[in-house]
Amino acid sequence: MSGYHPDDMTLMNYAAGSCTIPESLAVAMHLCFCHDCRQHVKNLNHLGGALLETIKPASTDDDAFESLMASLEPHAQSEIAQVKMEPTPSEKITQHFTNPLLRYLPTSLADLPWQRQTKEISKYDLTSLINVKGFQVALQKINAGAKVPKHTHKGFEYTVILSGGFSDELGVYHEGDFIARDASHKHSPTALQNEDCICLTVLNAPLKFTGWYRVLNPFMAWS
Amino acid sequence: MTTKKAVSMNDSTATNDAPDWGALLARVAENDDKAAFRAIYQHFAPRIKAYAINQGFSQHAEVLVQEVMTSVWRNAGKYSESLASVSTWIFTITRNQRIDILRKLNRTRAEVVIETEELWQIPTEDTTICSIQNLSTEKFVKTAIDKLPEEQMIALRKVYYEGKTHEEVAEELNIPLGTVKGRLRLSLQKLRVMFEDKEI
Ligand SMILES: [Zn+2]
Repeated sequence: MSGYHPDDMTLMNYAAGSCTIPESLAVAMHLCFCHDCRQHVKNLNHLGGALLETIKPASTDDDAFESLMASLEPHAQSEIAQVKMEPTPSEKITQHFTNPLLRYLPTSLADLPWQRQTKEISKYDLTSLINVKGFQVALQKINAGAKVPKHTHKGFEYTVILSGGFSDELGVYHEGDFIARDASHKHSPTALQNEDCICLTVLNAPLKFTGWYRVLNPFMAWS
Repeated sequence: MTTKKAVSMNDSTATNDAPDWGALLARVAENDDKAAFRAIYQHFAPRIKAYAINQGFSQHAEVLVQEVMTSVWRNAGKYSESLASVSTWIFTITRNQRIDILRKLNRTRAEVVIETEELWQIPTEDTTICSIQNLSTEKFVKTAIDKLPEEQMIALRKVYYEGKTHEEVAEELNIPLGTVKGRLRLSLQKLRVMFEDKEI
């Protein structure tokens, strides 16, 4: 169970479908780890359903139903396919929420073709998979005990820890934790000692490194 | 069973003698039952269309209705009462299709991008939660939102149903951004407390 969660506002924007694709990726990733937030999103979906009932209906085109009916296939075929795809009991247990990136990664996290940033930090870029202007999205790997140079954010940064953990000036974070940082924070995360830290980072503006490290700015980013 | 009627709602169709939508969906899945599907369509299509119009889909409003209702037809067999009420299920489909249509309209090339369905997953498997809990949650949510002050409901509706950002809501209601955020936060806190009190 993770200790740091998206706030209510973020979960509501997610449930309402009014957050951006990169933000929803970060939330969805956290949901894989967090029963409480899954439960809350479920409640927020119920809220959406209840609001749908109270909306003032608009009139639809007269012939819309008949033309829709004409385009629909009977169920028989797909029904058979569905029986075949019946998941095994073990799949059922883990099917609460699946890792949204699973289908898009060529291999397991450990074997990814990580792109080295420094001796101790590497990344696997996902920006093109997400493809939303102004956002950088990546998986980030920090070697056990390594420190990320101090940086500030122009926009905001979401981090979800997929394995291991890190600490910064504000706390210690573990697997599943969802960390939101905005422009007011200046931080330097350090991976915990015993294990490499792998996380998903979503960034809506380029990072600014502070101090000596600013020379790295154009070449290296935390995400 | 509650007999209290919503006082603040301007629409009165959500009464207790609503049809058993779940049973109608089952008839669609099992028998391709056109009459059952028509009943579902007649209730939900005008609401989906209103949602689409509110979300700014003027020309594509009917497209969203058709996409959602096609998905409802195709996936009728996957609906499970233990996961959500039919209106919640249809809400999640509508939300996802809306996002999907917007993404397709904005796409310039045929890139491989992450699917909307991966990001907003609609559960299809019954796991461990019992069905009675979900259905009562639904009724509970309806009574819970009736308890929220109108100004909070307006803010919630604008976020959920008009896809408005908090800034846009502030501008439209001519109130400071902080007030909008405050109202939303308050309503969510209240709902969270009500949900937590209720959780088994
Ligand atoms: Zn959580």
